Amino acid sequence: MGNITHTSSLNMVPKVVNIGHDEKVKKVTIGPGNPLALIGGPCAIESKDHAFFMGEAIGKIVTELNIPWVYKSCYDKDCRSSPESFHGCGLEDGLEILSAIREEFGVPVVSDFSDTSWAKATGEVCDLVQIPAYLCRQTSILRAAAETGRPIHLKKGQFMSPWNMKNSVKKIEAAGGSQIILADRGTFFGYNSLVNDYRSLTIMAETGYPVCYDATHSIQNPTSMGNISGGERQFIPSLVRAAAAVGIDALFMEIHNDPKNAKSDPNTVINVKYIKNVLIQAKAMHEQRLELISKLGVDNVE
Amino acid sequence: MSNKTLIENIMITPDKFTVVTPEVTLVTVLERMSKFKIGHVCVVDNQMKLVGVFTDGDFRRLILSIQKPLPALLSDDIVKYSSTSPKTTYVDSDFSEVKKIMAENKIWDLPVIDRDQKLVGLIHMSSLLK
Repeated sequence: MGNITHTSSLNMVPKVVNIGHDEKVKKVTIGPGNPLALIGGPCAIESKDHAFFMGEAIGKIVTELNIPWVYKSCYDKDCRSSPESFHGCGLEDGLEILSAIREEFGVPVVSDFSDTSWAKATGEVCDLVQIPAYLCRQTSILRAAAETGRPIHLKKGQFMSPWNMKNSVKKIEAAGGSQIILADRGTFFGYNSLVNDYRSLTIMAETGYPVCYDATHSIQNPTSMGNISGGERQFIPSLVRAAAAVGIDALFMEIHNDPKNAKSDPNTVINVKYIKNVLIQAKAMHEQRLELISKLGVDNVE
Repeated sequence: MSNKTLIENIMITPDKFTVVTPEVTLVTVLERMSKFKIGHVCVVDNQMKLVGVFTDGDFRRLILSIQKPLPALLSDDIVKYSSTSPKTTYVDSDFSEVKKIMAENKIWDLPVIDRDQKLVGLIHMSSLLK
């Protein structure tokens, strides 16, 4: 009679995501043990001048704080509450501006896409492709993202349990994708309200993939103002501190110089004047957590 | 002439019971167990090496102890709950010796491996009674 003993593979091998598809940009590595990265920028591409203005403003801060950065901005906002809302500058112009941002600032860029026919072009320019939370379980979108060959930023739908995100991960893997970042952007708490269940970060990290905390969407009150979403920005700093303490690999924030007049998400985007303060705290909490892990090991309570 | 009954002559082959890789979810495993009507699952790596087993009894004990919500449990990888040091027998062993050990340990199912530790079958007592 044989008796086989194996070590359990319960602890998944941590995966690291490398962002930056050519030498024009400073590559960003996101994953366990790496510095906290910022995925941030204006929610929508409003104009080339504004995109560049925001690139300059954010770039100065992340350079000073030595925080790896992926510039985020979208060319099409397909999930607006109202038909009157700004929908975006469109695929062609948007990708041209994002390409120019890469060239000018040497920063990798990310945009989401909500139509499978936009995936290929998005992946040709963007270093990271993003899947909107509302579409996080759409097989065709997940497959299209994987087929770009780029790393994928997959947001947990506000209606999804964190353990069910594994199904979306498996759809991406089945289509050949192997570089995924999973983000928490809040979970519906009744109607028109979101709450962060921080257990979701730990649960999604069990996939082995890096996790991201989306600070500016977590404080959103979805469509709370009838035909537009509200938000409670005052909670951003404290929620970010908590997320970084729980354990994240990247922080996502939509940033604007004039939130009141932002063409998209005016009630949730954070004013650029506050981000240095938030990033300093996030970085400090992240480094403290890594230091504790190196001293005490990873969490092992059963 | 030897009176030995070799394991390989009485085992069932892996297409007749549940064999899964470690990342298969618990819900899929339970569905396959029901399909085969055998409450014993072998977890193997991609080389067919046995890395664990999971049984009806393991599931019963799990349900009594687990604190997380059922949908979360069903989404977990099977490797999380499988026994990682299962008893096994070799394909060229003699059944009369193995039978004693199974009786002593109250084991109704026993994975069969070859000398490379690869899974090749299962001794399933119920099928022997037919």
